[in-house]
Amino acid sequence: MDPRRVQVKEIECVIRNQMGLHVRSASKLSKVASKFKAEIFVSYGGLEVNAKSVLGVMMLAAEEGATIKFRAEGADEDQALAALKDLVDGKFGGEP
Amino acid sequence: MKLSGIAASPGIGVGPAFVLESEELAVRDFKVPADQVEREIEFFDKALQLSSRDVAQLRDGIAAELSEDEAAIYDAHVMMLQDPELHRAVTEGIRATRRNAGVVFRDYMSGVAARLERVEDEYLRERHADVLDVERRVLRYLVGGGQRRVALPGPAVVIAHDIGPSDVAMLDRTKVLGVVTEVGSRTSHSAIVARGRGIPAVVGARGVIEHVKTGEMSLVDGFRGEVELNPDPDTVARYKARRARFDEDLLKLRDLREKPAQTLDGHRVDLGGNIELPSDVDEILAVGADGVGLFRTEFFYLDRAELPSEEEQFEAYRAVAEQIAPRPVIFRTMDLGGDKVASYLGTTHETNPFLGYRGIRFALLHPEVFRAQLRAIYRASAFGKVRLMFPMISILEELARATALCAEVAAELAATDVAFDPEIQIGMMVETPSAVWEADLLAKTAHFFSIGTNDLTQYTLAMDRDNARLSHLYEPLSPAVLRSIRHTVECGHRAGRWVGVCGEMAGDPRTAVLLLGMGVDELSMSSFDLPRVKAAIRSVTLSQAQQLSQEALQLPSAAEVRECLSCNLDPILPALALGVKDNA
Repeated sequence: MDPRRVQVKEIECVIRNQMGLHVRSASKLSKVASKFKAEIFVSYGGLEVNAKSVLGVMMLAAEEGATIKFRAEGADEDQALAALKDLVDGKFGGEP
Repeated sequence: MKLSGIAASPGIGVGPAFVLESEELAVRDFKVPADQVEREIEFFDKALQLSSRDVAQLRDGIAAELSEDEAAIYDAHVMMLQDPELHRAVTEGIRATRRNAGVVFRDYMSGVAARLERVEDEYLRERHADVLDVERRVLRYLVGGGQRRVALPGPAVVIAHDIGPSDVAMLDRTKVLGVVTEVGSRTSHSAIVARGRGIPAVVGARGVIEHVKTGEMSLVDGFRGEVELNPDPDTVARYKARRARFDEDLLKLRDLREKPAQTLDGHRVDLGGNIELPSDVDEILAVGADGVGLFRTEFFYLDRAELPSEEEQFEAYRAVAEQIAPRPVIFRTMDLGGDKVASYLGTTHETNPFLGYRGIRFALLHPEVFRAQLRAIYRASAFGKVRLMFPMISILEELARATALCAEVAAELAATDVAFDPEIQIGMMVETPSAVWEADLLAKTAHFFSIGTNDLTQYTLAMDRDNARLSHLYEPLSPAVLRSIRHTVECGHRAGRWVGVCGEMAGDPRTAVLLLGMGVDELSMSSFDLPRVKAAIRSVTLSQAQQLSQEALQLPSAAEVRECLSCNLDPILPALALGVKDNA
């Protein structure tokens, strides 16, 4: 998806790491989310949490193959969603 | 039941377990008076801050001894401690319920952990251990006296999930029989401290905490990395017999204390001890070292939040110089950078840290930090026989710049009438192939060489010694490494310089004889290895050693060199020097 054309404030990503959203990948996700002013939520399996909260993201327990949904609201929401998508699609910079 | 881990510090421990994590973290539940609520919140904030600081220090230690990759988990712990939802929920919880921070925080963390425990995926479920770890850390500040202090009720084998180097350093040596942890590696700081203090240790024994309670019989085999919990009487008897034999050997080896490391035909070698902490001097004096052959000064820089001052270093260095005098102490200047980082010095990610800013390169990049250390070493030189050497010199220019800095420091001190030894020997480590091949040039400036065989092997063979898939190929006895050593010794001697070896090779009794035959003048090793090497040297003649080295240097592989050493030496070296590590 080209972020310049996307106007939606919601995106879906598929976790491709073999070990899923584990501690390290969850902390990377929260770290990236924390760089943006927008409020960002991430949901999976009926639970929605603040993406800037690593404990919350860990609680999602998203395994390999899980489709997680991001929702963002705020001035830099598009950039935030694009950055998060890059992170997830890039397997969190090489996490197992 | 028997568990396997990593042999981190040699020795046998037999005794009741003392499980460290069953901490007194009982959280009291009480009402906070209305006017104390904001104070309670501040108290909570402070606990989070202090915990973050502790984790950051732990992180640096792990990054230093293992890798950035191993340290990454602690970055995640810091993120948890700074979690905005956690902070909001606990703050609001204290305000709304007027219950104390400990209870509100614990309840929140229990909720997170409980949810993770229900996850089916086994790997994801394990994250719950990280949450618990973070929880305990904060609770220590909320209900306890902050960071853990370990007080042993009596002789015991300390069993912990993890134990910090400072914890190991503070354990009562008259009571601690051994240390077992679930995490860690041979090169972690805690393992190094355990070896320095002669405490048998096994690290990386997964699941040990779940299988033992305080007071239950535990056996530690620090040679093989094995732990026995609630063993049968036969096993206990076997361990006790091994311990007795080990202690007996130790006594015999201690008898060698006053005797020189001298061959049967009267050739004398200097045996130095490798130390990490000023307090390690006791141990190397107890085994009769001829000095400190390698003082790794990194300890002053790692595991802490800010730079050590010149004064603090001076006091520590002076104490060592005084204690070891009239024997010499060789301070290796800061060997930081690469994989050993201190976050307060500001580090940048490098794709190839072992070929990056480390050792002398890092020191020359931080001249003010380096200068403070050199001043401290020079000032200490007035109180004993002090030598200094630079790590990781690869080209002459680096040696020239570092030596010039020493001259500046000496001039400064002289100008302000501060006492120092003007004859201080300034040497260098030989750890890179370029230093080997420039050894003739370097010997014009360096007063001595100390060959660091661990790094020299790694760089000569271009094989990462920490890479498990290469570990069978990482071989200090490789012909290429032996030839590098021979060349370095020849260049040093031609220039009238003495040459030592301070890597792990020096601590192996058979290899030590080989090095002696190659003309090495000094060997430096751990206090554990020192008496064994001394026993080996005292049972050969110099000409035997020389013949052996001539033969070994002809051989085409490390395996054949090892075979040659065994064939020639095992019949003549005392069992004392060889057998201790496998006296089953």
